[in-house]
Amino acid sequence: MNASKPKLPQTVGVWNRLESHRIINSENIFNYMNGAGELYLSYRFRHLEVFNYKSADQGDILVELYFMETPGDAFGLLSLDWGGEPVSFGGTPAAVSNQYFMASTRALYGGGLLRLWSDSIYSRIMAERETPVSKEAVLALGKAIAAGDRSPSEPALVKILPLEIDSTWKLRVDRLSFFRSHLVLNSIYYLSHENILDLDLSTEAVSAPYENISGSGDLKRNQFLLVQYKNPEHARQALNRFNDAYLPGNKKEITVETASDSASIFKLEEGWLAYKLIGRHIAIVFESPDPESARTILQKNESNLLEKGGDHER
Amino acid sequence: MKDKMPVLTRRDFIRGTVGITLGASVFGLQWPMGEARATATSLVTVVRDKNAMDSAKNINATVLEKMLTETLTKVTGQKNTKDAWLSLVKSNDVIGLVPTDHLNPTHDEVVDVVKNSLMDAGIPEDRIRDAQGPWNAKECDALIAIPGLKAHWLTGIGTVLKNYIMYSGSPSSYHRSNSAKLGEIWNLPFVRGKTKLVLVDALYPLCDKGPQPDPRYQWNYNGFVAGTDPVAVETVCLKIITEKRKVIRGEPWPLSPPPICVEAADKVYGLGTSQMEQIQIKHSGWEHELLL
Repeated sequence: MNASKPKLPQTVGVWNRLESHRIINSENIFNYMNGAGELYLSYRFRHLEVFNYKSADQGDILVELYFMETPGDAFGLLSLDWGGEPVSFGGTPAAVSNQYFMASTRALYGGGLLRLWSDSIYSRIMAERETPVSKEAVLALGKAIAAGDRSPSEPALVKILPLEIDSTWKLRVDRLSFFRSHLVLNSIYYLSHENILDLDLSTEAVSAPYENISGSGDLKRNQFLLVQYKNPEHARQALNRFNDAYLPGNKKEITVETASDSASIFKLEEGWLAYKLIGRHIAIVFESPDPESARTILQKNESNLLEKGGDHER
Repeated sequence: MKDKMPVLTRRDFIRGTVGITLGASVFGLQWPMGEARATATSLVTVVRDKNAMDSAKNINATVLEKMLTETLTKVTGQKNTKDAWLSLVKSNDVIGLVPTDHLNPTHDEVVDVVKNSLMDAGIPEDRIRDAQGPWNAKECDALIAIPGLKAHWLTGIGTVLKNYIMYSGSPSSYHRSNSAKLGEIWNLPFVRGKTKLVLVDALYPLCDKGPQPDPRYQWNYNGFVAGTDPVAVETVCLKIITEKRKVIRGEPWPLSPPPICVEAADKVYGLGTSQMEQIQIKHSGWEHELLL
């Protein structure tokens, strides 16, 4: 889906847009933002357009429009942090589901920064100084950017994860992230400085904690990860690599048969780890307080995956 | 597939085997090199003033001057600014100031205060230069590192050690897993031994999502963190960021990925100490949310 180019106003409040704007591509993104550029290249990045609004005495407003390959890539960037005040620009009300994840908002504001997802654009609009007036201007710019939004759906993979499991485990939707790179995974949940799950731009991944809601004493939480590869062989090889690096004591070679029959479960330092190869997907539960919970979370996600047809290449 | 070089993973951090695994997988046998270093104490000063920067981010240069004086005298043990500088640098040195140049840059006012203070100490203006950027350290006899305090999404922290990344001539080589090797830049022939003071601009730090600014994770700390041991200064900076993250979430919120470059700077490159028990922190000024 190609996003239509937003029409940014020449003037917003007391701010005037400078005539020239910068276009940043994957070749020169490091010149613009040093190592932060890796974040955008970790998704399918096309280019970035940077606009500056100046005022006489209210500071500047910076508008960054990241043009991504797909709406899913733009969604992924927003999903790295669901914190802030949800903002609605008066379009179609956000759909809700009590079965699976749907973004309750496509724009979040906090401290002078508005982040938004509109089609395949991810945008950051930031006021140098936060005041009621600058907030109004930032939101007006957000509205202009989102004006042509066709409200594409979230990536199908994020809808696999059940919101609740057996009235015991609740998905932390405020910590659900969609990504394609081990660098991003490490910023959410550190696994290894090496790419031990063989993630790349052809893969999709979602991760979020499940939290115990049974009210039985201490807060229990585990981290769930679901990765979708381009084909089952890629998934199998990746699981072998993960097994070798993360579970070096487990010397078995993973084949489609051995890993698909039942979950493999291990007692590790932080709790129980369980994984399963499901066609072209790998599902992993980290830090589970007991093996039964790990198994249950895997099973429920697997049945959702099969039910929703997300594993038709099995 | 089996019996390959060990890979550093989350489990190493839980088990306390980072050194062993990292040594074998990234640094070969170099890792234990720093283990035999003498366990001397490194001094790090934290000087804060509530009035250094207001909520609208206006900076009071007069307050900064006082903070710098306090910092220099505490770090060096000298009685005044001039003696302090001259105990760190020679009057005929070419002195390079190395601020963070963009994305949460070092505040210009901080760089100006340092420069003016050096000139007041008798260093001619033409011997003080901006040394940020590739190769700029070559023509300097002494360096004053003036990074901004910030978390970094690729390396955990992007403050002291990362401040010299442009000297490598290939900054992207130090992203990803090679971020552990940031310390080696400090040992390049034209950099090694030149850093006489590390003065971290902690007026308005960033504790998550760096290096891109995100005001939700920035706050008025209004401080300078300083010392002559870059690793010790970085370690104290890490503590401040980590504690602030805990305050924000109300529960431990460790930096992710973990900043292994700091421990590697100690254990592999011998640049200083990353052990809090070997760091003496001298604090003065504003007590509110000290985070230490």
